[in-house]
Amino acid sequence: MSRFTVPIGPQHPLLKEPLSFQLTLEGEEVVDSVIRLGYVHRGIERLSEKRTYIQNVHLVERVCGICSHVHTTTYCMGVESLAGVTVPVRGLYLRTFFCELERIHSHLLWLGVLAKNLGFDTVFMYAWRDREIVLDIMEELSGGRVSHAANVIGGVRVDINDSQRKTMTVSLKSLSQKITDLRNIVEHETNFHARTRDIGTLTAEQIRQYCIVGPIARASNVDVDMRRDVPYNLYEKFDFSVITRSEGDVWARTTLRIQEAQESIKICLQILDSLPPGAVAVRAKRRVPPGEVICRSEAPRGELLYYIQSDGSDRPARIKIRTPTLPSLAILPDLLRGINMADVSAVVSGVDLCIACVDR
Amino acid sequence: MAKKLSRIFLLSKLWAVFLEGPTTGGYPFEPLQLPSGFRGKVVMNAHLCNGCGLCVQDCPASALKIERFDKQHFRIVYNPARCAYCGQCEISCHRGAIHLTNDFNPAVQHIGNLIEVLVERGLPKG
Repeated sequence: MSRFTVPIGPQHPLLKEPLSFQLTLEGEEVVDSVIRLGYVHRGIERLSEKRTYIQNVHLVERVCGICSHVHTTTYCMGVESLAGVTVPVRGLYLRTFFCELERIHSHLLWLGVLAKNLGFDTVFMYAWRDREIVLDIMEELSGGRVSHAANVIGGVRVDINDSQRKTMTVSLKSLSQKITDLRNIVEHETNFHARTRDIGTLTAEQIRQYCIVGPIARASNVDVDMRRDVPYNLYEKFDFSVITRSEGDVWARTTLRIQEAQESIKICLQILDSLPPGAVAVRAKRRVPPGEVICRSEAPRGELLYYIQSDGSDRPARIKIRTPTLPSLAILPDLLRGINMADVSAVVSGVDLCIACVDR
Repeated sequence: MAKKLSRIFLLSKLWAVFLEGPTTGGYPFEPLQLPSGFRGKVVMNAHLCNGCGLCVQDCPASALKIERFDKQHFRIVYNPARCAYCGQCEISCHRGAIHLTNDFNPAVQHIGNLIEVLVERGLPKG
């Protein structure tokens, strides 16, 4: 059978960010694929060396539009540990609150994108409608829907008052019900099963071989979660479970992310219940003592790593960011090999790529 | 049978959404409800500013510029076209002179018309 090549991207309805695929097909079957990156490279790591620690908070926030808060959280945690700054407990609670809201927002956004790519527009609209509840909460607190600018070195710049706390508790409880509905649709809808079951399956060995992290690893029964394994931001104080599944296919990743969103709501409600009084931030010095630090956190897509090196000035000597989705891209050619052309959208959406994070 | 059940489940949800009515807002035909902390256009309380320049130093987008004529005389110029609306100037200002307003729609015909002088003390020499 003759082979032909189908180019997908860098601008394509399947992809929400610029990425290029060259799929080689034999009939309807994908036999080979080549991925090209670099369309959204902004040189953020180099740029960060030219800017002060304070300016870099806003620069690293723009690494990714979806997990912007967790980038600033990890960066601030690193700088604070170098500078020896202790963040007030209320500030840490609010940081965690934002991190979990961001996880819910990211997972719902991803569910909508997957459903849209599968041709299931009803779930796409429901998921994005429900995501607005989270975005409204974040906008109410920080003044921005996506770029929250909630973190500062030494704490956070946002605070919650009592009336906001009550309304947010009600909103999050209603969101929990809506997410349960979405889960029921995903679990019972036969069309959804037909498009996602036994497709893009990854084994635990493949996950370990490619160093894949986050929800994709947990959907293949690899139990890793930085929030539990290396607790930061007082995560050890909250009661939540790390969800794992054993199927390893796109369906498992979908249900796992929905369950994770529900766990995040649980953490948010605990934070709203037990928010301690006090200051939200302390003033930090502009100059950071010489040294180096590695800081890790659990972004919505998996483990995020920041390496920060200081030479004692008010600017970092080096910042290296390791984002969670690069290994997922590395395994994509293996995942695509042998599948039907119609399933490409399910597999590509299923790994939840963040090209802006990868390219930086 | 399972397929039939899944259809009924989704239909009940669709019906509930139909009864809820539209969830989208009517902007621009209706006013937009913005939260109190919305980060919009930067304004300055000129009499509180002492010209320390911290807002200019910390601005990550170089949207603020300070022009110094001598020790007492300076001018702070704001370019909303460069502004990232991050609110860092508000955090950096120790005197509470600068803050972000709810104004989100400063439309102009020429981008240069956006640039405005926030504080002016004295006139340039010569």
